Amino acid sequence: MVFDQLISNFKLGIDYALEQLINGINIGGIYALIAVGYTMVYGIIELINFAHGEIYMLGAYLAFTFYVMLKLPFPVAVLLSIFSCMLLGIFLEFIAYRPLRNAPRLAALITAIGASLFLQNLALIIWGGIPKSFPELTLPDYFQSPIITIYGSASISLLQYNIFFITVFLMLGLHLLITRTKIGTAMRACAQDKTTASLMGINVNRVITFTFAVGSSLGAVAGILAGLYYNIIKHTIGYVAGVKAFAAAVLGGIGNVPGAMLGGFVLGIAETFGAGYISSPYRDGIAYAVMILVIVFRPSGILGRKQSVKV
Amino acid sequence: MLKRIPRYSFYREKLSVSFSHNIKYFYGVLFLLVFFIPFFISNLYVIHTITLVMLYIILALGLNIIPGFTGLLDLGYVGFYAIGAYTAATLTYHLGEVVGPLSIFTNFWIIMPLAALNGAFWGILLGVPTLRLTGDYFAIVTFGFASLVELIIINEMWLTRGPMGIVMEHKPTLNLAFLYPITHHFYSEPLKFAFKGDIPFFYIIFFVVIITVIVMNRLENSRLGRAWFAIREDEIAAECSGINIMKYKVIAFAISASFGGIAGSIFAFWFKFASPESFKFWESILILCMVVLGGMGSIPGVILGTTVLVSLTEVIRVFLEPWPILVQSRFLVFGAILIIMMRFKPAGLIPLSRVKREMSSRDKSIIGAMDGSFYDITSGEKKLNSDR
Amino acid sequence: MKKLLSFRFLILISILAISAALFAAGCEKKMEPGPEEVTEDLGPIKIGFAGPMSGDAAAYGEIIRNGIMMKIEEINEAGGINGRMMELVVGDELCDPKEAATIAQKFASDEEILAVVGHVCSSATLAALPYYKDAGLPAVSPTATNVDVCKKSEWMFRDVYRDDFQGEFMAKYAKEVLGLTTVGIFHENNDYAIGLMEAFKKGAEEIGLEVVGVESYVKDTVDFTPQLTKFKHLAPDGIFIAGYYQQGGLILNQAKKLGLITQFMGADGLNNPKLIEIAGEDASSGFIASSPFVYEAAGGEALKFKKNFEKKYNGMTPDWMAANGYDAVGIIAKAIEECGADRAKIRDCLAGMNTADKGYKGITGVTFFDENGDCLKPAYVTIIKGGEFVAAEKQMF
Repeated sequence: MVFDQLISNFKLGIDYALEQLINGINIGGIYALIAVGYTMVYGIIELINFAHGEIYMLGAYLAFTFYVMLKLPFPVAVLLSIFSCMLLGIFLEFIAYRPLRNAPRLAALITAIGASLFLQNLALIIWGGIPKSFPELTLPDYFQSPIITIYGSASISLLQYNIFFITVFLMLGLHLLITRTKIGTAMRACAQDKTTASLMGINVNRVITFTFAVGSSLGAVAGILAGLYYNIIKHTIGYVAGVKAFAAAVLGGIGNVPGAMLGGFVLGIAETFGAGYISSPYRDGIAYAVMILVIVFRPSGILGRKQSVKV
Repeated sequence: MLKRIPRYSFYREKLSVSFSHNIKYFYGVLFLLVFFIPFFISNLYVIHTITLVMLYIILALGLNIIPGFTGLLDLGYVGFYAIGAYTAATLTYHLGEVVGPLSIFTNFWIIMPLAALNGAFWGILLGVPTLRLTGDYFAIVTFGFASLVELIIINEMWLTRGPMGIVMEHKPTLNLAFLYPITHHFYSEPLKFAFKGDIPFFYIIFFVVIITVIVMNRLENSRLGRAWFAIREDEIAAECSGINIMKYKVIAFAISASFGGIAGSIFAFWFKFASPESFKFWESILILCMVVLGGMGSIPGVILGTTVLVSLTEVIRVFLEPWPILVQSRFLVFGAILIIMMRFKPAGLIPLSRVKREMSSRDKSIIGAMDGSFYDITSGEKKLNSDR
Repeated sequence: MKKLLSFRFLILISILAISAALFAAGCEKKMEPGPEEVTEDLGPIKIGFAGPMSGDAAAYGEIIRNGIMMKIEEINEAGGINGRMMELVVGDELCDPKEAATIAQKFASDEEILAVVGHVCSSATLAALPYYKDAGLPAVSPTATNVDVCKKSEWMFRDVYRDDFQGEFMAKYAKEVLGLTTVGIFHENNDYAIGLMEAFKKGAEEIGLEVVGVESYVKDTVDFTPQLTKFKHLAPDGIFIAGYYQQGGLILNQAKKLGLITQFMGADGLNNPKLIEIAGEDASSGFIASSPFVYEAAGGEALKFKKNFEKKYNGMTPDWMAANGYDAVGIIAKAIEECGADRAKIRDCLAGMNTADKGYKGITGVTFFDENGDCLKPAYVTIIKGGEFVAAEKQMF
């Protein structure tokens, strides 16, 4: 039965595949933005920041609040939301993760889960259980959706176009930040060996704070983009997106930033093609399956290097 | 020549070793208290809550094996709970109208061990490829497993009716008709009890809890238990001492999963409704919270932690009823509890006495770490250094 | 050792504290199965309303509850039923079968609740059925349209039509009135949508309307782009959505973003103003939905109800669900008045309303029940124009 579906879907032709590819790249970009947040934090303090998905969700909610409820102009609302999420990420690190820096990993993981639970339900209390959406007609023009035809009957909307360029731009920026700047080098040093880095005069705490700040800002942007694209903001979107982005980070090699970017796109495309060609209800399962398979068979991911365990 | 110890005193000695002096009184009092509750309390809601607490105790004790005894983190425990419940639900749903030999599979007393076996089966299936992973990765894989179980339940409508759920029409019955030759002296009718209402479930679950506690205690003090603690404290040293790590980990996982299955099947019959909504990932976290709050590995701790948390849930539900939003977000409290517990008292409310007993020369509050080093909780310093 | 002792003390205290709290909580809850008190002062008549008050389907719950409250207040202002005031107990079940089962258990054990208006969603109703049956509590659903709802229990009634009727109706309308030749179907995986989808498919097959594709989704889906892309390339003349307003709105919105132009159609679940809000006025204009009731066609009493509703609830426009809820209360009140304030008597009374003259004349027309508890009512078609649902020009009977 799966095969008939597959074949009948293939008959839809190249333009169908092209459109699904575009959809995949779009979602993939959003996943990638979240995934780098996960991977940077894991690289530096070896913690899976479960609460990162909630930052994504709060980014969307805050932008909505500033734009719709406080009637601020759209760019201002966006910037304010990013800034707030950055502060939130720093605050989270300071309150929940820093005291447990030397504690067993189990304890830190449980704390992260607790933080995620807390934030998710806090959002439920603050904004209520009814989902929110951005009112379309009032958004600036470049986020509206005139359609541009590309090839045959494949077309792309201006919104998708914009999302793609924003994500690519941000990721290039991040890459430059990590490879070409002083603080980026400091981040890489801390990820490799914190003690030695501090011996070299790097303020490790400051670097960790910076990592959280950058990761959270990107997560907030992802949240806003997703809010615009899907037109729905709920307190549960953080959890779902977070899991998928984490799967993407694992796929690319956890701790590896280019890997997370790659993993995001790959997962997005795989998910879209899976939903478009095989079976839609299991599309979330693709992320989970990817995660499990990668961890079991190639824990270092696509771009990671195998780590040997020293006794 | 060795003196042969008669069987009963052998077991009596074993039991009295497992149940140290103080604990015996604690359990004894608890047992009497709980056993007579339905006689004194007529408020159905309170009975319902206490039954719920006991069900969660079974679950929490089952989960306790993994982080508590072996030091791994199982985030996907709810998957086994779901498997147990859906074993019961699908069997009664698909075989509901069948008469004859197959109908034995809709009998509660048969389904319960079946669910346990099913749970253990999936536990082994999941465990064998994944238990060789280190802590973080293992946690993620279990998480993925639970999510996949949920997805499969939701989508395989032919089996589980998906989001619509399965209504359990069968009630458990106790058919003692085979004792008729004896009982007909006292009762003219053969003994057949159909369980209606909450109170029979109260006793069934109570009975299962007692068995679970006994089993857990025996496991803790058995060769299995000692192997598990060795693995928890230093995996590499344990392996060097000749313990087959994989074997013991898989056994732990399978036992934990089977308890999840048992609890699940009881839940299905008690709640009379199985739906994927009851088995979301957060349920796993809730159970983990109970174990963490009470003290990972310590059985009285887990019982306490469960009691506190579940009662808290119900109390919140009742007192905050005028504000339904707050009731829905009661998980906020649990998140906060997790964070606070890990910050200030990671060993839990009643820490594992074994650790305290055996580490009496060191500081009282030490818990073994997954990567093999020891940390002093209060000061955060490493006591024993071993590289990962 | 001392530390242990004081710690144990702490534990004991906390256990006692929790038990005390539980007792207090338990006393607040009226769940005692004691014998009914026979006193002079009988107290208010309580009916329960079980529906989604929060979550994805909250708009349904809110609007129906408002309709119910209007009727209750009207009755109370006129002196109540046989002198007793009516009171509403609300249970929030989020349209989720599990929560519905819990709420049903609660209602069933509360002896003071004599009847229930609910549930709202078909899946939730089906889950709650066994509890009402076991406890002998009659229920009238204003909105559950799945075929099996009333068949499965003699304690369940409804004042809305059934999905087999509705699905076939929509298929016929699509072909004969709208002139479509090919159609695609989107449906959620729940009792309501699957039943509706099956009915539509069957109706379509019978009249030669070609179904080019069927796509399903689960409750929390937010991203419909892959499936919409597929439909874009299959290019059917119309797409029938079987589901609720939350997902329906998103489908319309994302379809527009993808450039998918087709005639979207839906059924009663999508006939809610929230749909327009979520999809955006642009994306939802021209959307066609079937409805058990339109105010314009029903005349006098209905329009009066609509005006009072808007006045009372700050300009909120009532939809067909509110009207059905309003009538459901009326039906129950009639049963209590004629046959007595007792669960079994109410149920028998409702079963006795089996012809047009014995039925209830409400704002949605005359409601009477067949042997299952179903009622036969016509379907209307509405279309979204200018940001709201209005009766379509071409109706079909």
